[in-house]
Amino acid sequence: MKTDLSPRIKVALYGLMCVLLIPFVFPTWWMITSSVKPISDIFAFPPDLWPRRFDFSTYAQVFELQPFARQYWNSAYIAAIVTAGTMIVSSMAGYAFARIKFPFSNAIFMVVLLGLLIPSEVTIVPLFQMFLGWGMINTHWPLILVPIFGAPSVFATFVMRQFFIALPTELEEAARVDGLGRFKIFWIIALPLAKPALGAVAIFTFLHSWNLYLEPIVFLSSTQMFTLPQALTQFTDAYGGAMWNIQLAAATMTAIPVLLVFIVAQKQFVEGLAHTGLKG
Amino acid sequence: MANLSLKSVRKAYGEASVLHGVDIDIADGEFVVLVGPSGCGKSTLLRMIAGLETITGGAIEIGGRVVNDLEPKDRDIAMVFQNYALYPHMSVATNMGFSLEHRGASKAEIAERVKWAADILGLAYLLDRYPRQLSGGQRQRVAMGRAIVRNPQVFLFDEPLSNLDAKLRVVMRGEIKGLHQRLGVTTVYVTHDQVEAMTMADRIVVMNAGKVEQVGAPLELYDRPANLFVAGFIGSPAMNMISGEITQGGFAAGGVTLPLPAGLGASGRATYGIRPEHLILADDGLAATVNLIEPTGSETQVAMTLGEHSITGVFRERISAQPGETIRVRPDLDAIHLFDAETDNRVE
Ligand SMILES: Nc1ncnc2c1ncn2[C@@H]1O[C@H](COP(=O)(O)OP(=O)(O)OP(=O)(O)O)[C@@H](O)[C@H]1O
Ligand SMILES: [Mg+2]
Repeated sequence: MKTDLSPRIKVALYGLMCVLLIPFVFPTWWMITSSVKPISDIFAFPPDLWPRRFDFSTYAQVFELQPFARQYWNSAYIAAIVTAGTMIVSSMAGYAFARIKFPFSNAIFMVVLLGLLIPSEVTIVPLFQMFLGWGMINTHWPLILVPIFGAPSVFATFVMRQFFIALPTELEEAARVDGLGRFKIFWIIALPLAKPALGAVAIFTFLHSWNLYLEPIVFLSSTQMFTLPQALTQFTDAYGGAMWNIQLAAATMTAIPVLLVFIVAQKQFVEGLAHTGLKG
Repeated sequence: MANLSLKSVRKAYGEASVLHGVDIDIADGEFVVLVGPSGCGKSTLLRMIAGLETITGGAIEIGGRVVNDLEPKDRDIAMVFQNYALYPHMSVATNMGFSLEHRGASKAEIAERVKWAADILGLAYLLDRYPRQLSGGQRQRVAMGRAIVRNPQVFLFDEPLSNLDAKLRVVMRGEIKGLHQRLGVTTVYVTHDQVEAMTMADRIVVMNAGKVEQVGAPLELYDRPANLFVAGFIGSPAMNMISGEITQGGFAAGGVTLPLPAGLGASGRATYGIRPEHLILADDGLAATVNLIEPTGSETQVAMTLGEHSITGVFRERISAQPGETIRVRPDLDAIHLFDAETDNRVE
């Protein structure tokens, strides 16, 4: 904090923050510690903050019970393609809506935004029909195409449009005088300046794809093709009971990229949201 | 370098007409300043010359070539924007070399031209910095460097100094003028600051509400304003305007009779214009009641009431009169302006 606060207020503030932290940190802590507890220790009450016994074999079992490495790869490459694709589509569409005059551009933008209001549960059946017709069931195509051209991309387009609208037009006019055409102005001037917004788009698109659950369970049927959220539900014994410690070990591994993304990119994320005026 | 000619240039945004036919001829190497009140269409006109706005009617010629339908990059102009519009993510050197780079100049040529421009503007030590690391005046210089680097036919400036403080503005005014003298490039410079206009221009174009009111050299506009608008716009403090009637015995206006030069042909209702600095303290002058005295040291500005009229005078003398007291002033007969009451145009 830059403001000078008296030490007493500072202590009080930090104390308050620590208290507020508990509901956020405890579940994650519980997940990580429980993943190395024997199953019988997990539901001990009160919960142990530190495992009484360590059992790391759960992590090995994750890979024995499921083609987990393969599933990890599935999630990773799908999220990478979706993120890259959304960055391309949303920055170009956002720029067009912000800067290029074409008939009914505002009306069209409104129609595009309306897409955000329709829950994915509503469209999932028609989408299933469509991809069935295209022979894409039990492939990864729906998980790539639906986000790139669906709600996450619409939101990303909105964010990018707001950013480009706020960019001074003189910059682009100077570039026009300097001899650049429309695409080069976008590519050399506008896009590099949009890095913060683009960073925010990349983070939330990646997370959205990584966490996607409904679409995989509808479109995928073989475990080889599964993505991680779907795979997490598969750690059950012969009677359908959850194998909690193994599932939590898998969940811990699933959460690692998410934590990494936030640790590495949180500054950019906040900046990006601030730039787009989404943050107060 | 080239001459620039505007032929009944018009601009309308939909139904709203913004420029109603502007004719200006600018000679090769001339420094022309567009002045006028806010919203009169100066920027619009400049942007039309640059090619950033479409031309609704008329023609713009640069070097004898009609450029109406040319892209900005094909008009061979350079523009300096009010907020400088430096590319924030590029160094000063890249900013300055940018236009050459995108016109396919070789690396060596770009480096040479950038160095040349940087030396002229004293920017050599800033070439590796980014715009955010520069002061306002330095940004202004970089923007000028970016303009001169590729040797355009015409420079366009849109209020380039309005973001600088008063002192720096005076310095940069001199630098821009010096640059023009050195390079001799035809220049169109927009400002609403009449001091800038008077000190920098070869010729001034006074605009009002989308029309050109008068074109002329600075002192020409000061000495012989063509109409009431120009008379009121050029000069600070503004010219005193008194409406009344030209009679045999002088100019009869609300309780006073102002002297007129001998042998005046005109008669009838008119507006009498006299600049504050052309009022003279004289014992045989007209009695005026002092309202306010503002000494600046070198001169004294006096607000006073003459007959029914509030007027301003600027005198070299120091005046010790108190508000409410009477002083005697007379207009310098050689510096009187008369304007027709109907048309607002100058009468001789
Ligand atoms: N895109 C536009 N659409 C409609 N009207 C416009 C547009 N741009 C400018 N105008 C109008 O054109 C007129 C001239 O504007 P312009 O910016 O040229 O004025 P200006 O003389 O440069 O004023 P200032 O000294 O304030 O910069 C104004 O009345 C303005 O409202
Ligand atoms: Mg303007």
